[in-house]
Amino acid sequence: MSAAAQPSLADDAAPVLSVEGLTKLYGDRIGCRDISFSLWPGEVLGIVGESGSGKSTLLRCLAGLARPSAGRIAITLEGESFDLFALDEPTRRRLMRTAWGIVHQSPRDGLRMGISAGGNVGERLIDAGSRHYGDIRAAAEDWLGRVEIDSSRIDDRPGQFSGGMQQRLQIARVLVSGPRIVFMDEPTGGLDVSVQARLLDLLRVLVRDLGIAAVIVTHDLAVARLLTDRLIVMKDGHVVEEGLTDQVLDDPHHAYTQLLTSAVLT
Amino acid sequence: MMDLMDARHTPVIAHGQEGADDQAMDQALMLRVRDLAKDFTLHNQGGTVIPVVAGVSLDLARGEAVILTGVSGAGKSTVLRMLYGNYRPTRGTVEVRHGGRLIDLVSARPRTVLALRRSTLGWVSQFLRVIPRVPTIEIVKDPLLARGVDDDEATQRASAMLRRLNLPERLWRLAPATFSGGEQQRVNIARSFVDPAPILLLDEPTASLDGDNRRIVVDLINEARHDGAAIVGIFHDEETRERVATRHFDLSQYRAAP
Amino acid sequence: MTAPAQQHYNYAYLDEQSKRMIRRAILKAVAIPGYQVPFASREMPLARGWGTGGMQVTAALIGPSDTLKVIDQGADDTTNAVSIRRFFSRVAHVATTEKTRAASVIQTRHRIPETPLSAGQIIVYQVPMPEPLRKLEASERETRKMHGYGEYGLMHVKLYEDIARYGHVATSYDYPVAVAERYVTAPSPIPKFDNPKMNMSPALQLFGAGREKRIYAIPPHTRVRSLDFEDHPFTVQRWSTPCALCGTTKTYLDEVVIDDRGGRMFVCSDSEYCEERREAGHAGAMLASAEAMKLVDARQPEDAP
Ligand SMILES: Nc1ncnc2c1ncn2[C@@H]1O[C@H](COP(=O)(O)OP(=O)(O)OP(=O)(O)O)[C@@H](O)[C@H]1O
Ligand SMILES: Nc1ncnc2c1ncn2[C@@H]1O[C@H](COP(=O)(O)OP(=O)(O)OP(=O)(O)O)[C@@H](O)[C@H]1O
Ligand SMILES: [Mg+2]
Ligand SMILES: [Mg+2]
Repeated sequence: MSAAAQPSLADDAAPVLSVEGLTKLYGDRIGCRDISFSLWPGEVLGIVGESGSGKSTLLRCLAGLARPSAGRIAITLEGESFDLFALDEPTRRRLMRTAWGIVHQSPRDGLRMGISAGGNVGERLIDAGSRHYGDIRAAAEDWLGRVEIDSSRIDDRPGQFSGGMQQRLQIARVLVSGPRIVFMDEPTGGLDVSVQARLLDLLRVLVRDLGIAAVIVTHDLAVARLLTDRLIVMKDGHVVEEGLTDQVLDDPHHAYTQLLTSAVLT
Repeated sequence: MMDLMDARHTPVIAHGQEGADDQAMDQALMLRVRDLAKDFTLHNQGGTVIPVVAGVSLDLARGEAVILTGVSGAGKSTVLRMLYGNYRPTRGTVEVRHGGRLIDLVSARPRTVLALRRSTLGWVSQFLRVIPRVPTIEIVKDPLLARGVDDDEATQRASAMLRRLNLPERLWRLAPATFSGGEQQRVNIARSFVDPAPILLLDEPTASLDGDNRRIVVDLINEARHDGAAIVGIFHDEETRERVATRHFDLSQYRAAP
Repeated sequence: MTAPAQQHYNYAYLDEQSKRMIRRAILKAVAIPGYQVPFASREMPLARGWGTGGMQVTAALIGPSDTLKVIDQGADDTTNAVSIRRFFSRVAHVATTEKTRAASVIQTRHRIPETPLSAGQIIVYQVPMPEPLRKLEASERETRKMHGYGEYGLMHVKLYEDIARYGHVATSYDYPVAVAERYVTAPSPIPKFDNPKMNMSPALQLFGAGREKRIYAIPPHTRVRSLDFEDHPFTVQRWSTPCALCGTTKTYLDEVVIDDRGGRMFVCSDSEYCEERREAGHAGAMLASAEAMKLVDARQPEDAP
């Protein structure tokens, strides 16, 4: 039998991401309202909810792409804690390109379509300071392999790839720089079922192996069940229920969650 | 503080739970359930409340196998799910041993529940729920890898387990999606028993297995128990129940008042 | 300074206020090496995009005591160079020269002279596209941020793309440089052969883009580094033959067609430098036949001043 040390419950570890009272208004329309939660390294948090419930709004705030109207987003990297929107813009932009990554619903928003697959992956390494062509190329090859894109396609432009390949390329581009937090907005949206399954498996293994924390927006409860540890259910901009993914899906307490889970076979 | 993994090697003779309240005195106590109750409220059906169980209290020590009994709908699965932290109780506590402490699953943070599931609680049902496309051998290795066993050893132990469960070797590299119900179930069993957790929660794991395979599973359960696992199980089949049980717990007595 | 009454234009063509505005932009550009300073570009008697940026910089700087040299692609005698030179001699009463050494101000399009520049000289580049990031990022707002925050990864992505596709960096003109290890800057469409001349040059280098309304500068003795990868270091063009006329192996060569039977030779692109060497007695393999074909002036007797 395994000789593992006493497993730690890691109760004392610091969360990588900690959100308090986050609100985003668009004029007098509510994007999301009074959201609070924490995310620990290696944890995958799912956000589910109906269209217009504020999932993307929340994700965009967390990812540093949109400034919240109120509330605080605290990030802890290498033992140092800071308020995401109190950072100066260049520091925030640098962290966005290195310490965290965003996988957009549409690959076009996350890829440079005029640049080869290798260049797309290499850019994040270059941003992180790499100036060695051979190293960059080797890392790009390695990552294309990991997302199961044949390395012979390294010099092709993303436009020559299928939707699923573009999405995998986007993931490689984000993960190559070893981010600590990854944000994904419907990462498997628009893909057919078998491609989705491969992508899910890939994400699961990568998140586990790299100890990355992830926040995944999805409308697909099956995806949520397979990929996430915890779930937040949103409606009208606020959180109506949260808990372990299997708790929320198998024993939903809120009327809206019960409706959501009864509508879909998970 | 006793090492949890070590504890899994130590054969323990089951003994009575009297005085088990003092945990310092009873290191064998693995699970302590107090006054557990569960109602379901169906908001989309006019707020109907379904009371399932109430007042369930139970102690479980290392090396014990408690079998939950009661008619269909009595709430056996419901209780077992609450012990795993899957259903959220309406009332009561479920304390799980972690090292020298008992931790209440009901009030614990989600993260702590996950950590307890990784280290202490094992769930085995007749249904295999895995990500599509992952090969069988990888599914079985996964819990070993998650506990830090190296790849070679994990492969070896997973292979031995699959062989013992008579799963043809040509299937090992395939994903179980296309397997028969019984084959999938055996993959599930292999995954659960390749490195059994200190507390095993079994919801009819043998339900659709033939006699030979059922006997193999019963052996696996009993071996785990002799190695110190504490077991709570549901078995419909009388013979299996008798071969596994050290104790019965009849849920009919704990029916919640409607 | 007052211009003679009969002139219809101000000294050096531009009105004093415009010149002051341009000088202020130049001062700011010198203070922030490589940074593109916006300025209110004026009309010049030339279509924009034909060097009006360089002409405005020259007009703002030049005084009667200056000696002006103008080159286009390395040559002093092309139409464009000749007309700009004539223009300034008329409107600013400056002396003009073809000699690099003799010039105090050199306006150039597409080359840096081969003769090393010296302290006190000013070289003014005509710049069609001042923004080195433009081809990679279309948004002005975004490129401004990229400069502001020193986010230049994308430039190396471009180099990566070149190496991936051609095995080497294919960019051979307007090859991007880092000025004083801060701003990435477009050196204007000079061949990358000339990039090393920009580094630590004792001359003041000024860049004017008329259509794009930008002025930038590299002050004397400023480090100018061509972007590259550690394992693909920056290199300049090399030729397998020396200049067919003056025999040098140290200059940028142009290919010249010499007859209608496909005959060709490689000669210095900097015509003045080539001539100076020939005057000093150097001869390339095809000099004699080129003289016979009247492709170049025959050598003067030794005593010519
Ligand atoms: N830029 C914006 N300006 C104004 N209102 C916006 C903007 N972005 C989002 N909203 C509004 O905020 C609310 C939440 O939108 P959001 O995009 O976050 O929803 P969502 O949960 O991601 O929905 P979907 O599942 O359809 O993607 C909606 O009412 C939407 O109309
Ligand atoms: N997620 C749920 N939501 C609503 N009601 C539930 C849920 N899970 C169980 N129940 C109800 O709780 C009661 C007990 O069900 P449970 O599955 O625990 O019975 P069981 O004793 O395991 O029965 P069986 O022997 O048939 O498996 C049933 O009335 C069931 O409908
Ligand atoms: Mg959305
Ligand atoms: Mg049941």
